[in-house]
Amino acid sequence: MEFEQDDLEKFRRKLRFKVFYHLGSFCPDVEDMVQETLTRFFGAVNDGKLRNPESLGAFLNGICNNVIREYRRRLWRDAPQKITPLAPDQPVAPEADLLELRDAIDAGLMQLSDRDRTMLRAFFLEERTKEEICRELGLPELQFRVALFRAKERFRKIYHATLKPQAVWNH
Amino acid sequence: MQCHEEPMLREELIAKYLLKRLDADTVEAFESHYLVCDECFEELRASQLLIAGLGKSKISRRQVGDVAVLDFTGPAQLTRLSSEVKELFSSVLEQKDTKVLIDLSRVSRIDSAGLGALMACYSHAVRNRGLLKLLNPSSEVQNLLRITKIDSLLQSYPDERSALCSFE
Repeated sequence: MEFEQDDLEKFRRKLRFKVFYHLGSFCPDVEDMVQETLTRFFGAVNDGKLRNPESLGAFLNGICNNVIREYRRRLWRDAPQKITPLAPDQPVAPEADLLELRDAIDAGLMQLSDRDRTMLRAFFLEERTKEEICRELGLPELQFRVALFRAKERFRKIYHATLKPQAVWNH
Repeated sequence: MQCHEEPMLREELIAKYLLKRLDADTVEAFESHYLVCDECFEELRASQLLIAGLGKSKISRRQVGDVAVLDFTGPAQLTRLSSEVKELFSSVLEQKDTKVLIDLSRVSRIDSAGLGALMACYSHAVRNRGLLKLLNPSSEVQNLLRITKIDSLLQSYPDERSALCSFE
């Protein structure tokens, strides 16, 4: 199985996201863990351990999980009193790059209508039910899916036009 | 994963993943998927930015008589990296209100930068011959104000009525 340089960069970016997700945005060893995952992954691929190319994602994910597990064990072993593990239900903390992108995100959100923002906030952040959101916005429930999808679509366009280039650079 | 056949399902999956509401097996399956799916990963990133933007606390201002009452509209932290400090500065320092009441009931954490911001707002009010007071700080915040002796300058009140009366 062969990989291009572009594939490597994509893996790196996604693994970085995954490690941040599990260890918090201020973990100082994220780059080391991503590099360790990639080293083990390409070593295993070269040794022919990836028998089914269809399971590439699960294979890479499994290696990354092992690296994260080992890192956590090492932290607990070396300095157990200093560890404050992330609570399991704690939402993903804002990353440093998100703080830098804050103004651009705000500008993007301001391009949406109040109704779009209310709907997106209720769905993505407040985890309210479809029925509650429809009641508040005076929207027939049958139209909820379409309305939500269109609101997200409008943000997605802004993301691709303005935020993604900066996010790629920063993340 | 059925992400591509059912976009709505993907939205729900991504929202729950970002808010850490998925069980371990689903997290495992979704991560295995997005590691090799650029489309879903970009959706994930877009939603992450969306949630970050939507989750940002805003300060709302309302006028009760001659007192400007500032409320945080969502959970907030007054810390060095939080946007709320910057927002608080612009809400207080760029206005000419002389009587300001800041509702801290939704502020869970304050660090030295947050305390500095509150003191800067207080100094601004005093310079304008005005007053700045605090409403309903949490017990942690109250402790911090006491330890740093800032409570001797910045008075706190447990309810809005008594806070507003104190300005008269």
